[in-house]
Amino acid sequence: MILDLHTHSIKSDDGRAKVENYCQWIRAKEIPIDGFVLTEHRQFDTSSDYSTLARKYDLLILKGSEVETEYGHVLIFGVSETLTKRIDFTRVDLPLKDVLELSLACDAIAVPCHPGRPKVGMFAHTDRLGLPEGVEIVETRNGGSRDDEDQIALRNAALHKYRGIGGSDSHIVSHIGRCATKFTREISSMKALVKELKIGNFEAVSFK
Amino acid sequence: MIADIERLQEKYLNKDFDVKNFLIEAETTVRFAWLSGETHPKFIDTDHPDFQAPPTFVGSLAGSRILPSDFPRFGVGMDAGKSVECFAPVRPGDEIIGKSHLHEIYAKTGRSGRMIFIVTRIEFYDKKENHLANSDSRIVIAERQHGN
Amino acid sequence: METKVKSIEDVVFGEELPVYLPDTSLKKSAEFASLVGWEGARFSNHEKAKEEGLAGAMMPGILNQAYFSAMIHRWAPNSTLLSIDTIFRAPVIADQEYSMQATVTDIDEDQRIIEIDLIMSNQKKETRVLGTARIGL
Repeated sequence: MILDLHTHSIKSDDGRAKVENYCQWIRAKEIPIDGFVLTEHRQFDTSSDYSTLARKYDLLILKGSEVETEYGHVLIFGVSETLTKRIDFTRVDLPLKDVLELSLACDAIAVPCHPGRPKVGMFAHTDRLGLPEGVEIVETRNGGSRDDEDQIALRNAALHKYRGIGGSDSHIVSHIGRCATKFTREISSMKALVKELKIGNFEAVSFK
Repeated sequence: MIADIERLQEKYLNKDFDVKNFLIEAETTVRFAWLSGETHPKFIDTDHPDFQAPPTFVGSLAGSRILPSDFPRFGVGMDAGKSVECFAPVRPGDEIIGKSHLHEIYAKTGRSGRMIFIVTRIEFYDKKENHLANSDSRIVIAERQHGN
Repeated sequence: METKVKSIEDVVFGEELPVYLPDTSLKKSAEFASLVGWEGARFSNHEKAKEEGLAGAMMPGILNQAYFSAMIHRWAPNSTLLSIDTIFRAPVIADQEYSMQATVTDIDEDQRIIEIDLIMSNQKKETRVLGTARIGL
């Protein structure tokens, strides 16, 4: 099963894609993914219900978040009301340690994304701040990153034995599915996704 | 300094800070059209019955100031984006009015570090107060650290 | 001869507009910058722009937006541009080669409105300008 774990819709300030158009695009262009996770910037979208779209297009549509820390941007999968009360998602200076620990405590998992990019990527900060404790997964394939930035992510992930996920980081419709994550088992819910991420049966894939 | 985004939003959002009149000249709009590759006669032929400025032309019209006069200066602004909404054609020969307000203020981190994004919207009206277009300029300011 | 789109019924979801190769010559870009009142050397002189830390003289963002508008009008001459939103992700440098792609991503036949993704990329396929447009047809 292949899921794009990093997408943005019009719910994000810089997102320009409607979720139904993502679905139409995936089907019309036969993009080889089975679903995607909406990871809106600095928020968790509690209001949108995409279950009807998911049924109509036979796609898994899940919701996560992309938050901002001193080590750059971080995806969170398995966001709950409890977690949103313990982390102020709107801040741009969250401590990564808190995001990692509180996510785990709330049955979620946090994954630094596009870690090879300057400023917003984790590996841009490790020389200055040290290697953060608690990171097990990073996004090694990002559809919005340059090839050299993905190479930094891949190289450092291998060096530190991090597992890698993939996501398109799409902000417009035609970019969805450019990178994704291939799982060995079927996933039908966020709970199952978090479980598989914790088990580690996945690999990042690129369709760029 | 870490800008207090909420305070800025409360003080500045959706409050007109500039009003400016613009005389739309055919010579300028036609040159704009030519240079940007527009080939439709309604943009380049002054005798066309539907002669009008290219739709993105309003994006080139700047108010007297980009930000309110008392807006804090906490870094150097860069052009991060431009958005235009068109409701009715802008006709050369007309004088139109541009009213500016701050439409969005928010912070995020980007490849260049922590940034403040400010969207200045100019609403354009004709003399009969018909709303012709909106032009949004997205300015990104790299936030200075340590209060410098 | 290029086929022109005449009505919304001619448009297919996912359709790609003909790729547009904009004129990025410094002469033209600088003239445009001057026309819209952007007189700085960063738009007219490669050497001086480099002294400011740029890779060369930049093309004005609104020129790139206007190119997208022209690209759409060439494809659908009788369309009306309702909105265009462009995000400038990185500088576009004059005298370098760029290409502009546009793809239909939504068709609302009831409202007769089409949405289009817009991408301007350099020769390394790196996105420089990203955006969307809504047109009436």
